[in-house]
Amino acid sequence: MLAYALAAILLVVGVVCYAAFPAKTPEEPVRLMFKTTAGKVLFDHKTHSADAGYGVACDDCHHEGDEPVACSECHEPDSEVKRSDAFHSQCKGCHEESGAGPLECSECHVM
Amino acid sequence: MNNEKKLVVAHAPYWHDGSKISTKNYNIMVAALPAVLMGISHYGAPALGVVAFAMACAMIWELIMNVAMRKPFSIGDGSAAVTGLLLGMLMPATAPWWVIALGTFIALSVGKQIFGGIGFNPLNPPLLALAMLVISFKGVFDFDEALRHYDLGFIMTYPLADLKYFGTEAISKFSLGDLVMGRQSGAIGSTFGLGLIVGGLYLILRGYVRWEISLSFLAGVFITALLFNLSDSNQYAGPMFHLFTGYTLIAAFFLVPEDSSSPANFIPMLLFGVLAGLMTVLIRNVGAYVDGVPFSILLLNLANPLLDKIRPKAIGKVVENA
Repeated sequence: MLAYALAAILLVVGVVCYAAFPAKTPEEPVRLMFKTTAGKVLFDHKTHSADAGYGVACDDCHHEGDEPVACSECHEPDSEVKRSDAFHSQCKGCHEESGAGPLECSECHVM
Repeated sequence: MNNEKKLVVAHAPYWHDGSKISTKNYNIMVAALPAVLMGISHYGAPALGVVAFAMACAMIWELIMNVAMRKPFSIGDGSAAVTGLLLGMLMPATAPWWVIALGTFIALSVGKQIFGGIGFNPLNPPLLALAMLVISFKGVFDFDEALRHYDLGFIMTYPLADLKYFGTEAISKFSLGDLVMGRQSGAIGSTFGLGLIVGGLYLILRGYVRWEISLSFLAGVFITALLFNLSDSNQYAGPMFHLFTGYTLIAAFFLVPEDSSSPANFIPMLLFGVLAGLMTVLIRNVGAYVDGVPFSILLLNLANPLLDKIRPKAIGKVVENA
Protein backbone atom coordinates (compact mmCIF):
# COMPACT_ATOMS: atom_id res chain seq x y z
CA MET A 1 0.00 0.00 0.00
CA LEU A 2 2.89 2.33 0.80
CA ALA A 3 4.18 1.93 -2.76
CA TYR A 4 0.78 2.75 -4.28
CA ALA A 5 0.44 5.81 -2.05
CA LEU A 6 3.98 6.88 -2.95
CA ALA A 7 3.25 6.49 -6.67
CA ALA A 8 0.06 8.55 -6.37
CA ILE A 9 1.76 11.32 -4.39
CA LEU A 10 4.73 11.46 -6.77
CA LEU A 11 2.39 11.58 -9.76
CA VAL A 12 0.49 14.52 -8.27
CA VAL A 13 3.73 16.32 -7.37
CA GLY A 14 5.13 15.70 -10.87
CA VAL A 15 2.01 16.85 -12.69
CA VAL A 16 1.64 19.94 -10.48
CA CYS A 17 5.30 20.91 -11.00
CA TYR A 18 5.00 20.52 -14.77
CA ALA A 19 1.68 22.38 -14.90
CA ALA A 20 2.47 25.18 -12.46
CA PHE A 21 6.09 25.80 -13.41
CA PRO A 22 6.35 25.51 -17.20
CA ALA A 23 9.66 26.40 -18.82
CA LYS A 24 9.67 30.14 -19.32
CA THR A 25 11.93 32.25 -21.46
CA PRO A 26 13.26 35.14 -19.38
CA GLU A 27 12.48 38.64 -20.62
CA GLU A 28 16.16 39.35 -21.09
CA PRO A 29 17.94 36.24 -22.35
CA VAL A 30 20.69 34.66 -20.25
CA ARG A 31 22.24 32.56 -22.99
CA LEU A 32 21.05 31.94 -26.53
CA MET A 33 21.63 28.85 -28.61
CA PHE A 34 21.73 29.64 -32.33
CA LYS A 35 21.17 26.61 -34.51
CA THR A 36 22.95 26.90 -37.83
CA THR A 37 23.93 24.58 -40.64
CA ALA A 38 27.54 24.86 -39.46
CA GLY A 39 26.66 23.72 -35.95
CA LYS A 40 25.20 25.27 -32.84
CA VAL A 41 26.52 28.50 -31.35
CA LEU A 42 26.03 29.25 -27.65
CA PHE A 43 25.96 32.99 -27.07
CA ASP A 44 26.25 34.32 -23.54
CA HIS A 45 23.90 37.29 -23.80
CA LYS A 46 24.09 38.23 -20.14
CA THR A 47 27.89 38.38 -20.00
CA HIS A 48 27.97 40.53 -23.12
CA SER A 49 25.33 42.99 -21.91
CA ALA A 50 26.03 43.20 -18.16
CA ASP A 51 28.17 46.03 -16.84
CA ALA A 52 30.13 43.48 -14.82
CA GLY A 53 30.72 41.56 -18.05
CA TYR A 54 31.67 43.16 -21.36
CA GLY A 55 29.20 46.04 -20.93
CA VAL A 56 28.07 46.12 -24.56
CA ALA A 57 25.23 48.63 -24.98
CA CYS A 58 21.90 47.18 -26.16
CA ASP A 59 21.77 49.35 -29.28
CA ASP A 60 25.26 48.31 -30.35
CA CYS A 61 23.64 45.08 -31.55
CA HIS A 62 19.89 45.78 -31.48
CA HIS A 63 20.22 48.75 -33.84
CA GLU A 64 16.58 49.09 -34.93
CA GLY A 65 13.65 50.48 -32.93
CA ASP A 66 13.38 51.96 -29.46
CA GLU A 67 13.09 48.61 -27.70
CA PRO A 68 15.51 45.76 -28.51
CA VAL A 69 13.99 43.25 -30.89
CA ALA A 70 15.25 39.75 -31.60
CA CYS A 71 17.83 39.60 -34.41
CA SER A 72 15.80 37.09 -36.40
CA GLU A 73 12.86 39.52 -36.57
CA CYS A 74 14.63 41.31 -39.39
CA HIS A 75 17.55 39.08 -40.36
CA GLU A 76 15.88 36.12 -42.01
CA PRO A 77 17.59 33.57 -44.26
CA ASP A 78 16.37 35.33 -47.43
CA SER A 79 16.45 38.97 -46.26
CA GLU A 80 18.85 41.54 -47.65
CA VAL A 81 21.31 41.03 -44.84
CA LYS A 82 21.00 37.34 -44.01
CA ARG A 83 21.02 36.20 -40.42
CA SER A 84 24.36 34.44 -40.80
CA ASP A 85 25.98 37.50 -42.43
CA ALA A 86 24.58 39.80 -39.75
CA PHE A 87 25.89 37.61 -36.94
CA HIS A 88 29.27 37.06 -38.52
CA SER A 89 29.85 40.74 -39.16
CA GLN A 90 28.48 41.76 -35.75
CA CYS A 91 30.29 39.12 -33.66
CA LYS A 92 33.58 38.91 -35.49
CA GLY A 93 33.63 42.65 -36.21
CA CYS A 94 33.33 43.47 -32.52
CA HIS A 95 35.83 40.78 -31.51
CA GLU A 96 38.37 42.10 -34.03
CA GLU A 97 37.78 45.70 -33.00
CA SER A 98 38.19 45.00 -29.31
CA GLY A 99 40.96 42.46 -29.81
CA ALA A 100 39.08 39.93 -27.67
CA GLY A 101 36.80 37.02 -28.29
CA PRO A 102 36.77 34.14 -30.75
CA LEU A 103 37.35 34.60 -34.48
CA GLU A 104 37.82 31.08 -35.79
CA CYS A 105 34.76 29.03 -36.83
CA SER A 106 35.41 26.21 -34.36
CA GLU A 107 35.71 28.65 -31.47
CA CYS A 108 31.95 29.30 -31.65
CA HIS A 109 30.36 26.62 -33.82
CA VAL A 110 29.99 23.12 -32.42
CA MET A 111 28.55 20.19 -34.37
CA MET B 1 17.02 -38.17 8.50
CA ASN B 2 20.54 -37.57 7.34
CA ASN B 3 21.09 -33.83 7.09
CA GLU B 4 24.71 -34.05 6.09
CA LYS B 5 25.47 -31.84 3.14
CA LYS B 6 26.48 -34.13 0.26
CA LEU B 7 26.75 -31.73 -2.62
CA VAL B 8 26.23 -28.04 -3.14
CA VAL B 9 25.41 -26.97 -6.65
CA ALA B 10 26.54 -23.43 -7.24
CA HIS B 11 27.43 -21.43 -10.31
CA ALA B 12 28.16 -18.06 -8.81
CA PRO B 13 29.08 -16.59 -5.48
CA TYR B 14 26.03 -15.55 -3.53
CA TRP B 15 25.75 -13.10 -0.75
CA HIS B 16 22.91 -12.04 1.43
CA ASP B 17 23.01 -9.01 3.65
CA GLY B 18 19.98 -10.10 5.62
CA SER B 19 17.59 -7.48 4.31
CA LYS B 20 14.71 -7.58 1.84
CA ILE B 21 14.81 -6.24 -1.73
CA SER B 22 12.50 -3.41 -0.72
CA THR B 23 14.84 -2.44 2.14
CA LYS B 24 17.74 -2.34 -0.26
CA ASN B 25 15.85 -0.20 -2.75
CA TYR B 26 14.64 2.25 -0.12
CA ASN B 27 18.25 2.53 1.08
CA ILE B 28 19.37 3.32 -2.48
CA MET B 29 16.76 6.08 -2.60
CA VAL B 30 18.01 7.48 0.70
CA ALA B 31 21.60 7.35 -0.56
CA ALA B 32 20.63 9.25 -3.69
CA LEU B 33 18.83 11.93 -1.71
CA PRO B 34 21.76 14.37 -1.18
CA ALA B 35 22.47 14.55 -4.91
CA VAL B 36 18.76 14.87 -5.76
CA LEU B 37 18.21 17.59 -3.18
CA MET B 38 21.17 19.55 -4.54
CA GLY B 39 19.66 19.31 -8.03
CA ILE B 40 16.28 20.49 -6.75
CA SER B 41 17.91 23.35 -4.81
CA HIS B 42 19.64 24.46 -8.04
CA TYR B 43 16.83 24.10 -10.53
CA GLY B 44 13.78 24.34 -8.28
CA ALA B 45 10.31 22.98 -8.99
CA PRO B 46 11.07 21.81 -12.55
CA ALA B 47 13.75 19.44 -11.20
CA LEU B 48 11.38 18.17 -8.51
CA GLY B 49 8.77 17.66 -11.22
CA VAL B 50 11.15 15.61 -13.38
CA VAL B 51 12.24 13.34 -10.53
CA ALA B 52 8.74 12.87 -9.07
CA PHE B 53 7.16 12.30 -12.47
CA ALA B 54 9.88 9.81 -13.45
CA MET B 55 9.39 7.80 -10.27
CA ALA B 56 5.60 7.82 -10.61
CA CYS B 57 5.72 6.89 -14.30
CA ALA B 58 8.17 4.05 -13.65
CA MET B 59 5.91 2.60 -10.97
CA ILE B 60 2.84 2.93 -13.19
CA TRP B 61 4.60 1.25 -16.14
CA GLU B 62 5.69 -1.56 -13.82
CA LEU B 63 2.09 -2.01 -12.71
CA ILE B 64 0.84 -1.98 -16.31
CA MET B 65 3.47 -4.51 -17.35
CA ASN B 66 2.57 -6.74 -14.38
CA VAL B 67 -1.07 -6.70 -15.47
CA ALA B 68 -0.22 -7.22 -19.15
CA MET B 69 2.10 -10.12 -18.38
CA ARG B 70 -0.20 -11.58 -15.72
CA LYS B 71 2.46 -11.52 -13.07
CA PRO B 72 2.21 -10.62 -9.38
CA PHE B 73 2.33 -6.89 -8.70
CA SER B 74 5.89 -5.92 -7.90
CA ILE B 75 5.92 -2.18 -7.36
CA GLY B 76 6.11 -2.80 -3.62
CA ASP B 77 9.73 -3.95 -3.90
CA GLY B 78 10.82 -0.39 -4.75
CA SER B 79 12.77 -1.50 -7.82
CA ALA B 80 10.64 0.49 -10.26
CA ALA B 81 10.83 3.56 -8.02
CA VAL B 82 14.65 3.31 -7.99
CA THR B 83 14.73 2.94 -11.78
CA GLY B 84 12.53 6.03 -12.13
CA LEU B 85 14.59 7.96 -9.60
CA LEU B 86 17.88 7.14 -11.33
CA LEU B 87 16.49 8.02 -14.76
CA GLY B 88 15.17 11.30 -13.34
CA MET B 89 18.60 12.04 -11.88
CA LEU B 90 20.16 11.57 -15.33
CA MET B 91 17.80 14.09 -16.95
CA PRO B 92 18.16 17.85 -17.29
CA ALA B 93 15.65 19.83 -15.24
CA THR B 94 14.04 21.00 -18.47
CA ALA B 95 13.22 17.52 -19.78
CA PRO B 96 9.70 17.48 -21.26
CA TRP B 97 7.11 15.24 -19.58
CA TRP B 98 6.72 13.02 -22.64
CA VAL B 99 10.46 12.25 -22.65
CA ILE B 100 10.10 11.09 -19.04
CA ALA B 101 7.04 8.98 -19.87
CA LEU B 102 8.81 7.43 -22.87
CA GLY B 103 12.09 6.92 -21.01
CA THR B 104 10.48 5.18 -18.06
CA PHE B 105 8.47 3.00 -20.45
CA ILE B 106 11.69 1.94 -22.20
CA ALA B 107 13.45 1.30 -18.89
CA LEU B 108 10.63 -0.73 -17.37
CA SER B 109 9.39 -2.65 -20.40
CA VAL B 110 12.31 -3.05 -22.82
CA GLY B 111 14.93 -2.79 -20.10
CA LYS B 112 13.39 -4.98 -17.47
CA GLN B 113 9.98 -6.62 -17.69
CA ILE B 114 10.32 -8.35 -21.06
CA PHE B 115 13.33 -10.19 -19.67
CA GLY B 116 11.32 -11.40 -16.70
CA GLY B 117 11.49 -8.55 -14.22
CA ILE B 118 13.84 -7.85 -11.37
CA GLY B 119 17.03 -9.88 -11.44
CA PHE B 120 16.71 -10.93 -15.07
CA ASN B 121 17.61 -7.76 -16.93
CA PRO B 122 20.87 -8.12 -18.90
CA LEU B 123 21.20 -4.35 -19.35
CA ASN B 124 20.94 -1.55 -16.86
CA PRO B 125 17.34 -0.28 -17.34
CA PRO B 126 17.86 3.47 -16.66
CA LEU B 127 20.98 3.49 -18.85
CA LEU B 128 19.23 1.65 -21.69
CA ALA B 129 16.49 4.27 -21.58
CA LEU B 130 19.01 7.10 -21.36
CA ALA B 131 21.02 5.80 -24.33
CA MET B 132 17.90 5.49 -26.48
CA LEU B 133 16.71 8.97 -25.48
CA VAL B 134 20.14 10.57 -26.06
CA ILE B 135 20.29 9.09 -29.55
CA SER B 136 16.68 10.04 -30.34
CA PHE B 137 16.44 13.51 -28.79
CA LYS B 138 19.88 15.10 -28.85
CA GLY B 139 18.57 18.58 -28.10
CA VAL B 140 16.98 17.51 -24.82
CA PHE B 141 20.33 16.20 -23.54
CA ASP B 142 22.44 19.07 -24.83
CA PHE B 143 22.82 20.64 -21.40
CA ASP B 144 24.14 23.91 -22.86
CA GLU B 145 20.92 24.27 -24.82
CA ALA B 146 18.55 22.78 -22.25
CA LEU B 147 19.77 24.96 -19.36
CA ARG B 148 20.37 28.16 -21.34
CA HIS B 149 17.78 30.13 -19.34
CA TYR B 150 19.36 29.33 -15.98
CA ASP B 151 21.84 31.60 -14.25
CA LEU B 152 22.81 29.98 -10.95
CA GLY B 153 25.84 32.05 -10.04
CA PHE B 154 28.46 29.63 -11.30
CA ILE B 155 29.81 28.71 -14.72
CA MET B 156 26.81 27.36 -16.58
CA THR B 157 28.41 25.80 -19.63
CA TYR B 158 28.48 21.99 -19.53
CA PRO B 159 32.07 21.02 -18.62
CA LEU B 160 32.29 17.94 -20.85
CA ALA B 161 30.89 19.86 -23.84
CA ASP B 162 33.48 22.61 -23.29
CA LEU B 163 36.20 19.96 -23.24
CA LYS B 164 34.91 18.15 -26.31
CA TYR B 165 34.42 21.20 -28.50
CA PHE B 166 36.93 23.76 -27.25
CA GLY B 167 39.73 21.72 -25.69
CA THR B 168 41.51 21.89 -22.36
CA GLU B 169 41.92 25.68 -22.45
CA ALA B 170 38.15 26.04 -22.13
CA ILE B 171 37.99 23.98 -18.94
CA SER B 172 40.65 25.87 -17.00
CA LYS B 173 37.81 28.08 -15.69
CA PHE B 174 36.35 25.17 -13.67
CA SER B 175 37.76 24.67 -10.19
CA LEU B 176 37.84 21.20 -8.66
CA GLY B 177 36.09 22.50 -5.54
CA ASP B 178 33.15 23.77 -7.60
CA LEU B 179 32.88 20.47 -9.46
CA VAL B 180 32.92 18.46 -6.22
CA MET B 181 30.33 20.69 -4.57
CA GLY B 182 27.92 20.49 -7.49
CA ARG B 183 28.53 24.02 -8.75
CA GLN B 184 28.43 22.85 -12.35
CA SER B 185 25.84 22.49 -15.05
CA GLY B 186 24.44 19.06 -15.81
CA ALA B 187 21.75 16.54 -15.03
CA ILE B 188 19.62 16.94 -11.90
CA GLY B 189 21.26 14.26 -9.80
CA SER B 190 24.70 13.84 -11.30
CA THR B 191 26.54 17.06 -10.50
CA PHE B 192 26.91 16.95 -6.71
CA GLY B 193 30.09 14.88 -6.46
CA LEU B 194 30.39 14.94 -2.68
CA GLY B 195 26.76 13.88 -2.20
CA LEU B 196 27.14 11.00 -4.64
CA ILE B 197 30.34 9.84 -2.93
CA VAL B 198 28.70 9.95 0.51
CA GLY B 199 25.64 8.09 -0.82
CA GLY B 200 27.84 5.56 -2.58
CA LEU B 201 29.99 4.91 0.50
CA TYR B 202 26.83 4.41 2.54
CA LEU B 203 25.61 1.79 0.06
CA ILE B 204 29.01 0.07 0.03
CA LEU B 205 29.22 -0.02 3.82
CA ARG B 206 25.69 -1.40 4.10
CA GLY B 207 26.58 -4.10 1.56
CA TYR B 208 24.11 -2.98 -1.10
CA VAL B 209 26.77 -2.10 -3.64
CA ARG B 210 29.91 -4.06 -4.48
CA TRP B 211 32.95 -1.90 -3.84
CA GLU B 212 34.92 -3.93 -6.37
CA ILE B 213 32.80 -2.64 -9.24
CA SER B 214 32.47 0.98 -8.09
CA LEU B 215 36.13 1.45 -7.27
CA SER B 216 37.41 -0.38 -10.34
CA PHE B 217 35.16 1.79 -12.52
CA LEU B 218 36.59 4.93 -10.93
CA ALA B 219 40.11 3.48 -11.28
CA GLY B 220 39.42 2.72 -14.96
CA VAL B 221 38.30 6.31 -15.55
CA PHE B 222 41.24 7.71 -13.58
CA ILE B 223 43.98 5.61 -15.19
CA THR B 224 42.69 6.01 -18.75
CA ALA B 225 42.24 9.76 -18.35
CA LEU B 226 45.70 9.98 -16.78
CA LEU B 227 47.30 8.12 -19.68
CA PHE B 228 45.57 10.35 -22.22
CA ASN B 229 46.58 13.42 -20.22
CA LEU B 230 50.20 12.28 -20.00
CA SER B 231 50.29 11.65 -23.73
CA ASP B 232 49.05 15.15 -24.57
CA SER B 233 47.97 17.47 -21.78
CA ASN B 234 47.02 20.19 -24.27
CA GLN B 235 44.37 18.02 -25.85
CA TYR B 236 43.13 15.76 -23.04
CA ALA B 237 41.83 16.73 -19.62
CA GLY B 238 43.29 15.35 -16.41
CA PRO B 239 41.78 12.44 -14.47
CA MET B 240 40.22 14.53 -11.70
CA PHE B 241 38.18 16.48 -14.25
CA HIS B 242 36.79 13.27 -15.70
CA LEU B 243 36.00 11.89 -12.25
CA PHE B 244 33.93 14.86 -11.15
CA THR B 245 32.09 15.78 -14.35
CA GLY B 246 29.29 14.26 -16.37
CA TYR B 247 27.74 11.03 -15.21
CA THR B 248 30.93 9.50 -13.76
CA LEU B 249 30.07 9.43 -10.05
CA ILE B 250 26.39 8.56 -10.34
CA ALA B 251 27.47 5.74 -12.66
CA ALA B 252 30.15 4.50 -10.27
CA PHE B 253 27.87 4.16 -7.25
CA PHE B 254 24.34 3.79 -8.64
CA LEU B 255 24.52 2.42 -12.18
CA VAL B 256 27.56 0.23 -12.85
CA PRO B 257 27.08 -2.02 -9.77
CA GLU B 258 23.41 -2.79 -10.60
CA ASP B 259 22.85 -6.41 -9.56
CA SER B 260 21.72 -8.40 -12.52
CA SER B 261 23.69 -6.58 -15.21
CA SER B 262 27.08 -6.80 -13.48
CA PRO B 263 29.34 -9.79 -12.72
CA ALA B 264 29.35 -11.75 -9.48
CA ASN B 265 32.92 -13.08 -9.34
CA PHE B 266 35.83 -11.06 -8.00
CA ILE B 267 38.10 -10.79 -11.03
CA PRO B 268 35.21 -10.32 -13.49
CA MET B 269 33.90 -7.51 -11.25
CA LEU B 270 37.26 -5.75 -11.41
CA LEU B 271 37.53 -6.24 -15.17
CA PHE B 272 33.96 -5.08 -15.67
CA GLY B 273 34.55 -1.86 -13.76
CA VAL B 274 37.94 -1.06 -15.25
CA LEU B 275 36.79 -1.71 -18.82
CA ALA B 276 33.63 0.37 -18.34
CA GLY B 277 35.79 3.23 -17.02
CA LEU B 278 38.22 2.83 -19.91
CA MET B 279 35.40 2.89 -22.48
CA THR B 280 33.85 5.94 -20.82
CA VAL B 281 37.02 8.01 -21.22
CA LEU B 282 37.69 6.60 -24.70
CA ILE B 283 34.25 7.77 -25.87
CA ARG B 284 34.72 11.14 -24.20
CA ASN B 285 38.18 11.71 -25.66
CA VAL B 286 37.96 10.18 -29.12
CA GLY B 287 34.32 9.18 -29.59
CA ALA B 288 31.38 11.09 -30.99
CA TYR B 289 29.49 11.67 -27.74
CA VAL B 290 30.19 14.24 -25.06
CA ASP B 291 29.73 11.70 -22.26
CA GLY B 292 30.45 8.01 -22.77
CA VAL B 293 28.82 6.66 -19.61
CA PRO B 294 25.57 5.20 -20.99
CA PHE B 295 27.22 3.50 -23.96
CA SER B 296 30.31 2.19 -22.16
CA ILE B 297 28.32 0.54 -19.39
CA LEU B 298 25.73 -0.93 -21.75
CA LEU B 299 28.54 -2.40 -23.81
CA LEU B 300 30.07 -3.99 -20.73
CA ASN B 301 26.60 -5.19 -19.65
CA LEU B 302 26.58 -7.20 -22.87
CA ALA B 303 29.97 -8.65 -22.03
CA ASN B 304 28.88 -9.46 -18.47
CA PRO B 305 27.91 -13.14 -19.02
CA LEU B 306 31.26 -13.76 -20.72
CA LEU B 307 33.20 -11.96 -18.03
CA ASP B 308 31.57 -14.10 -15.36
CA LYS B 309 32.86 -17.22 -17.12
CA ILE B 310 36.44 -16.22 -16.45
CA ARG B 311 37.93 -18.80 -14.09
CA PRO B 312 34.80 -21.00 -14.02
CA LYS B 313 34.29 -23.06 -10.89
CA ALA B 314 33.54 -26.75 -10.78
CA ILE B 315 29.96 -27.60 -9.88
CA GLY B 316 29.79 -28.30 -6.22
CA LYS B 317 32.52 -25.83 -5.30
CA VAL B 318 31.18 -22.80 -3.50
CA VAL B 319 33.05 -19.59 -4.09
CA GLU B 320 33.31 -17.58 -0.91
CA ASN B 321 33.17 -14.04 -2.16
CA ALA B 322 30.57 -12.27 -0.12
